[in-house]
Amino acid sequence: MVNFSDLNFIFRFLPIFLIAFYITPIRFRTWTLFLGSLLFYAVGDIRMLPALLAAIIVNFLFGKAQFAEKSKSLLFFIFAIDAGMLVEFKILGQFVNSSLLPIGISFYIFKMISYQMDVYSGKIDKEARFIDVATYFSMFPQIVSGPIMRYEKYCENPMLDEDKSRDKSILALIEDGLRYFVVGLAMKVLLADHLSMLWHDIGTIGYESISTPLAWLGAYAYTLELYFDFWGYSLMAGGIGVMLGFPFIVNFDQPYGSGSVSEFYRRWHATLGSWFRDYIYFPLGGSRKGNLRTVFNLLVVWLITGFWHGITPNFILWGVVLFVIIVCEKYLVFKVFPDKLGKVIGKLNVLVLIPLSWVIFAITDFDMLAMYFSRLFPFFSQGVAVNDNDFFKNIGIYWMVLLPGFVLLIPKIFEFWENRRGHIVFNIIWILLFWFCIYSISGAAGNPFLYFRF
Amino acid sequence: MKFLKECPILIGIALIAVVLTVISFACQGSVYADYAQETDISKVPALALVFKAARDEVFPWSGSAEKMASVEDPEPSETGVLEDPAASAQEDSTDSGAQSDGTTDDQGASWLYGDAGAAISGNDISGNAVSGDDAEPETYEFTEVDDDYFTDALFIGDSRTVGLSEYCEPLDERATFYSKVSLTIYTVMDKEFVKTDEGKISVDAALRENQFSKIYIMLGLNEIGTGDTEYFFNAYKEVIDRIMELQPDAIIYIQGIMHVTAEKANGDKNFNNEKINARNEAIAQLADQKKIFYIDMNEAVDDEDGNLDKSLSFDGVHLKASSYERWYEFLLHNAIVR
Repeated sequence: MVNFSDLNFIFRFLPIFLIAFYITPIRFRTWTLFLGSLLFYAVGDIRMLPALLAAIIVNFLFGKAQFAEKSKSLLFFIFAIDAGMLVEFKILGQFVNSSLLPIGISFYIFKMISYQMDVYSGKIDKEARFIDVATYFSMFPQIVSGPIMRYEKYCENPMLDEDKSRDKSILALIEDGLRYFVVGLAMKVLLADHLSMLWHDIGTIGYESISTPLAWLGAYAYTLELYFDFWGYSLMAGGIGVMLGFPFIVNFDQPYGSGSVSEFYRRWHATLGSWFRDYIYFPLGGSRKGNLRTVFNLLVVWLITGFWHGITPNFILWGVVLFVIIVCEKYLVFKVFPDKLGKVIGKLNVLVLIPLSWVIFAITDFDMLAMYFSRLFPFFSQGVAVNDNDFFKNIGIYWMVLLPGFVLLIPKIFEFWENRRGHIVFNIIWILLFWFCIYSISGAAGNPFLYFRF
Repeated sequence: MKFLKECPILIGIALIAVVLTVISFACQGSVYADYAQETDISKVPALALVFKAARDEVFPWSGSAEKMASVEDPEPSETGVLEDPAASAQEDSTDSGAQSDGTTDDQGASWLYGDAGAAISGNDISGNAVSGDDAEPETYEFTEVDDDYFTDALFIGDSRTVGLSEYCEPLDERATFYSKVSLTIYTVMDKEFVKTDEGKISVDAALRENQFSKIYIMLGLNEIGTGDTEYFFNAYKEVIDRIMELQPDAIIYIQGIMHVTAEKANGDKNFNNEKINARNEAIAQLADQKKIFYIDMNEAVDDEDGNLDKSLSFDGVHLKASSYERWYEFLLHNAIVR
């Protein structure tokens, strides 16, 4: 049920929770959200609920001490506890048993670190109540896979405030959240889940036996799958947040319209990117301490980013590759090359190198990864039992998801809808889209989000 | 009206949800009876029934007759059919010793002929008993053939056979394939998927138009969760009988269902190799060693524990492209020449 595209979540948990949330007197609404979130988490993985609760209590107490008197050593101490907990569970999950990785730990730990840093820096100036801190860490729309909302955004919710909530219409909020939810659901269920079948089919064939055109198609199909899976999830999470009165959190801002890889990662999973910027890159000195130090800081950021996504070597390689591309862009492409050429290369990096980097992200086994790249670039080896028609065969099967997938990469399309989302035509389409998704879900065994255990 | 203006999508979705839930409860005893039985309403919202049924083209207005046609009845229609061949094989095994010994010796130590040998003895004798004919019945042996053996061969099957057609060039160049992803023994004859110049036709129609000398069939994995072994056996027999009727001169090869990997089988109540083996044993009984032969390619792809070797498969169910070679080699070494 901890999957937003699960029928039990959509038709049971969410409506019941929304009713419970809004019939609770405003003073106690935060409690409803907190208890609802604990219930949600318990249904997903009750064994790891104590770990979450312990982390909440410890972080609240450290924050409280920090409010009383700012202390750098205290900050380091809690930072070490949080980071240590994350690293330990990641190692347990990787080397012992994947079920030992608590759901959403990567996300709630990052929220906790962000909270501690903001309290220390004075960004959060009013001492926070336990219930607010606990709800911020554990709220169910974000616990599984983010977005990593900041505490200041949490405080902007008028529906939790007796003075501000009067002039707000509950139904209008739910309606607007629902719009984002439906579009996210459609991306996830209709596009990502079907694109994942193409990627799976390529695995079934075996990487040694795919033609070069199919290898490229696979790279782009996986790129699209990842995008719509996580963007779709983020829209659903953001939409549920809106239903509860929170501001809509933008996690994906048309990344494939970017002009460079570094820009791409400001617009892809933006809450994670800005987390790394504010809590790792800037504290290390950012780009203000000379070129050598900047390069070193970038390396640190990208190594941690790779590790955060997974601790198999391919994720580290993935992080290093992005680091190299970003450093090249910064010191070569945009500095040495003429303006126009630089722009073209920046665009190409986004549209060609990023998909290739996702292949590294996707294939955890190094031998298989090398095999895949030897099919992408078939200069040194030949495939085994390759069927040259495989590209057209798969285009024939999957064009119905590939085509809308590519079209949705165009930045203006989403913007067009977002600006006119209250239009009656969109309303009707959204109702149909919703039921079409439900039809699709009810027939397919739901496969969990890619970022589920991260 | 104010509400409708404020939250049209919410109202639209909520209304439809209520209507679907009501329909679902109202039809639980009639049109959706089968779905209600297999769905636990405490685990899935009731309206899921409507969608599950709609996927099978069962709608609230569908009559009960239509329902019967589109939903497979998991109850076996006849009982006791399966026991017959098995029983006769057992009864006669004592008498048939001499005959079958000769066959087995000639064939050497090959793993393949175990099943076939047993079936030969049973069938030969029962044949004798029925007809009372004393003449030595003609028996055939599996031999090695070359690529061109498959020029007049037809392959019928599901996604695994589709894979064979795509990744076994010598076969694809010569043989004909009536194969389709998720094909089952229940749908094989009537589903219209065989491509012709005039559009898609059913296997039944295609077999009326085209003659083949050899017909290979591998079906049974998609429907492994449907009905029991006996029900499956009956459906299989019906298909074989129909093919025999349409193609009286063809050699029919019943291929045992290919295993899945241990990892895939582990904990799966349907996709496991015990269940596959049980069904293979059943359909092996259909072989008469004259026109119908049973072959089992699992030996070519199994590991030592009798599961599909995991190095040959990515998803535990299908062979990798580069592994189809093994299947083909098996076919080349286990052919009947008349």
